[in-house]
Amino acid sequence: MSKESFCKAEERRLHYLLNFKLPNYYKKIGLAIILISFLFLIAFKFIEGEPEWVRSILQKAMLVGLLVITISREKIEDELVQSLRSKAFSIAFILGVLYVLIQPLVNYGVGILIEPNDTNFEDLGDFQVLWFLLVVYLTAFWSLKRKNS
Amino acid sequence: MKNTLKVERAILNLTQDELAQKMGVSRQTINSIETNRYVPSTLLALKLSKIFGKQVNEFFSLEEGD
Repeated sequence: MSKESFCKAEERRLHYLLNFKLPNYYKKIGLAIILISFLFLIAFKFIEGEPEWVRSILQKAMLVGLLVITISREKIEDELVQSLRSKAFSIAFILGVLYVLIQPLVNYGVGILIEPNDTNFEDLGDFQVLWFLLVVYLTAFWSLKRKNS
Repeated sequence: MKNTLKVERAILNLTQDELAQKMGVSRQTINSIETNRYVPSTLLALKLSKIFGKQVNEFFSLEEGD
């Protein structure tokens, strides 16, 4: 493969990756995944001796649902939508970093107020961070879309 | 940047929806451009130019501070 065609293939792959979107009806599938896993999470709260791996799988299913909605096309996916997506991603990224930095301190502070002798400083888990990022992205995207309608 | 998209659209007697369909974008995009909330790409500007039969700078112009 020549250097030029290699570069073109790389460019094509990158372009495909950047523009990859699921069809619009996947939004409903994503929502269904979230609702089902949420209901199961609630239901398992009332079952005694719930195994930890079930909770972990349901949490991951919720993340998959949110991701599916995030990468699903709008009915008309034009350049305004692309621009709103970029804005929503930057908002989610900045708030995500602030959340990761500030939330553990808030948790620690509240922990000290409630139980001064038994409080440890803990970082956020991956589920919490990813869930926050995806929810902030979707909220920002929907509110920007509503502003522009 | 300001524009006279609404005027040009009225001259051609097009609704926002009809113009959006001609350009392959959503009605919201046309509305956002008309209300100066969104600056379109060169591609969209050229499509508008083709539909209106005018140069881009006849319906888009810079404002002070741009």
